[in-house]
Amino acid sequence: MLGKVYSLILIVFILAISTSEVLSAESAPPDSLKIESIFQDEKKQADSWIHIFDSVHGFIESAYGPKFAGDKLTRKNDYNLLEQRLQLKAAYRPRKPAWLASWNPEFFYKGDLLSDEYKETLRYQIREGYGLVSPLSWMDVKLGRQILTWGTGDYLFINDVFPKDYESFFTGRDDECLKAPSDAGKFSIYNHLVSMDVVVIPSFTPDVSIRGDRVSFYDNFLGRIAGKESNRIFTEPAVQPKNTEIATRLYRNFGEYETAIYAFKGFFNQPVGIKNESAKEVFYPKLAVFGASIRGPAPSLGGIASGEVGYSDSWQDTNGKNRLIENSALKYLLGYERDFPKDWRAGMQYFAEQMLNFDEFKANSQSGDIPRDEFRQLLTFRITKLFWLQTLEASLFTFYSPTDSDAYLRPRLAWQANDRWKLTAGANIFFGKHDWTEFDQLEGNDNFYLRLRYSF
Amino acid sequence: MKNIFSVLTIVFMLLVSGFWAKNIYAQDTQNGKTAMNEMLLAYYYPQTDAKSGISMRIVNRQGQVRQRRLTMLRLNQTPGGDQFYYIYFHEPADIKGMSFLVLKHIGRDDDRWLYLPAIDLVKRIATSDKRTSFAGSDFTYEDVSGRALDEDGYELLGEENLGVYSCLVVKSTPKRPGEAEFSYRKFWIDKTTRLPLKVEHYDLKEKIYKVYETQEIQTIQGIPTITKAVMKDLENERYTEINMKEVSYNVGITSDIFQERLLRRPPRQWIGE
Repeated sequence: MLGKVYSLILIVFILAISTSEVLSAESAPPDSLKIESIFQDEKKQADSWIHIFDSVHGFIESAYGPKFAGDKLTRKNDYNLLEQRLQLKAAYRPRKPAWLASWNPEFFYKGDLLSDEYKETLRYQIREGYGLVSPLSWMDVKLGRQILTWGTGDYLFINDVFPKDYESFFTGRDDECLKAPSDAGKFSIYNHLVSMDVVVIPSFTPDVSIRGDRVSFYDNFLGRIAGKESNRIFTEPAVQPKNTEIATRLYRNFGEYETAIYAFKGFFNQPVGIKNESAKEVFYPKLAVFGASIRGPAPSLGGIASGEVGYSDSWQDTNGKNRLIENSALKYLLGYERDFPKDWRAGMQYFAEQMLNFDEFKANSQSGDIPRDEFRQLLTFRITKLFWLQTLEASLFTFYSPTDSDAYLRPRLAWQANDRWKLTAGANIFFGKHDWTEFDQLEGNDNFYLRLRYSF
Repeated sequence: MKNIFSVLTIVFMLLVSGFWAKNIYAQDTQNGKTAMNEMLLAYYYPQTDAKSGISMRIVNRQGQVRQRRLTMLRLNQTPGGDQFYYIYFHEPADIKGMSFLVLKHIGRDDDRWLYLPAIDLVKRIATSDKRTSFAGSDFTYEDVSGRALDEDGYELLGEENLGVYSCLVVKSTPKRPGEAEFSYRKFWIDKTTRLPLKVEHYDLKEKIYKVYETQEIQTIQGIPTITKAVMKDLENERYTEINMKEVSYNVGITSDIFQERLLRRPPRQWIGE
């Protein structure tokens, strides 16, 4: 294991040396511009034999996230992030045969090799691997593993029903990791009147949820914050034609306003159903979501305003009487973001989740069940400032729930030292009153993290 | 008799010159605005559409270099009016594949979207401040897509030669003070091509702090086109060089491509690999 880590570090080191050479060759005073460009041309010719590698890009990254004091419940107590990641991506656009070329085909691959010191594993994961064609001038078809996103929220999702990786989000990995890939087919139709996406997901992919191994959480079977001793059993829906998930979006612009309506039939991405209480068996209940969104300039205020609603229909508990399955809900989101001179940017969101059949929920609750409000409210604030000609980004994202009395702070500094090196430092800090609320249950996982990335 | 005649002549000449001077002042403003309008049309609006490959070198005080390589597509809706811009980033590696869509409006904020392919996110971007740096360079968004004619008042200061080029010198002052970081700018506009050859930016203390210079003009499809330019930040001793390659006009861009699809599915026929 350690050998692998060393070899990765060695690669980083070699890359570091090679870039510093490139950089010193590139820097020159303005009056020698002509000469320098000649040098660069020569260099290009000399390098032409490695042309094949021009189309392969990616990064190598080292990350370390020590925990603040924290609880001593997870597998490792001092840190929850220590890893090296090599990501490679490549695109291929065949020009033959002619019938295929006329479809403007593109094949894309992006894969991660992760040396995870926390889990003591070396893991390879294909993040994206798809083919994309346009069989008709107004149609795109994207087949394979892909990242799917829609909706208007900033770290909050109503109609974006695609899998998320919250473990990565809470421990300080790059934002990219929050979106987990789906194996899907996406069919897009474009028209002046209305455009449409239909996403078909034959094999259900859940969120990478919190299981106690790396991030401790409130385990309702144990009735307390639990770590690695949590032993819930997760049952995923079987891969069967009837379990195929379908998500659709119809959208069009009215002037400067973007509008969309959404429909989804599938499963909750979180295990919000209990199959067998004594066996601690949880499952992903059936779900349908219907929603709409609008986004555009805020009249007279300047900036961008957005609104999104969704009706989350819990099919296996339509009347709310089954205390073992999440109730249906209505979700509302209002967002506003604007920029200010000198690279300041600020955003805020109001999110509310209304549990339907709340009376039934209350009537059927038993002692030990997590208490809930009919209306759960959440506010978020984002503030970002860029320094040094946009090479240093300081940002703070805050979640605050007045109904749950909890909060989550995500401060971050990201410095783009040059075109290749990026250093990111940040923290994940949780506050709250009650062990069972969304953010307070994570209180023992407060961390600080550092990430050093070399892109090529 | 002779004296009276000469007095009359003098009076007449004074009258004429007074009238003339007044008129010239009005004309300076008018000519300044006309010259500026012609410059905007020559620089930001030539032909109906255009495609260009752009390389940027951003050099800081320490001599460190950052590079950006991008493809820009432009389509005019009306000459001097609203425009579509699409920008696709090829380099550096960490932003490769990112793209920008801008619907430029005269008289209201632009609509701007950014696409982040790694998370498949089409992000709407607030654009109240057009004076922010474009992609970390010394050029601002407004420098890239043009500042609306009505934002400034103009004065024709005279004519001057810049090398072999005979130029009109126009002073432009923001109508709303404090809205921009400059108190005024001075443009040297080539009388033949109407392209800007030099722009000096003066700060609120009327001290020069930023200079734009055209370094190369090529005639492409019969249209004089700036192919090399530099923006120097004198205060911070840094500069950005911009190099236009593979410029072509009237490539057949139509308004129906400027949709969300363009961000998710870059038009390879124009942007290449």
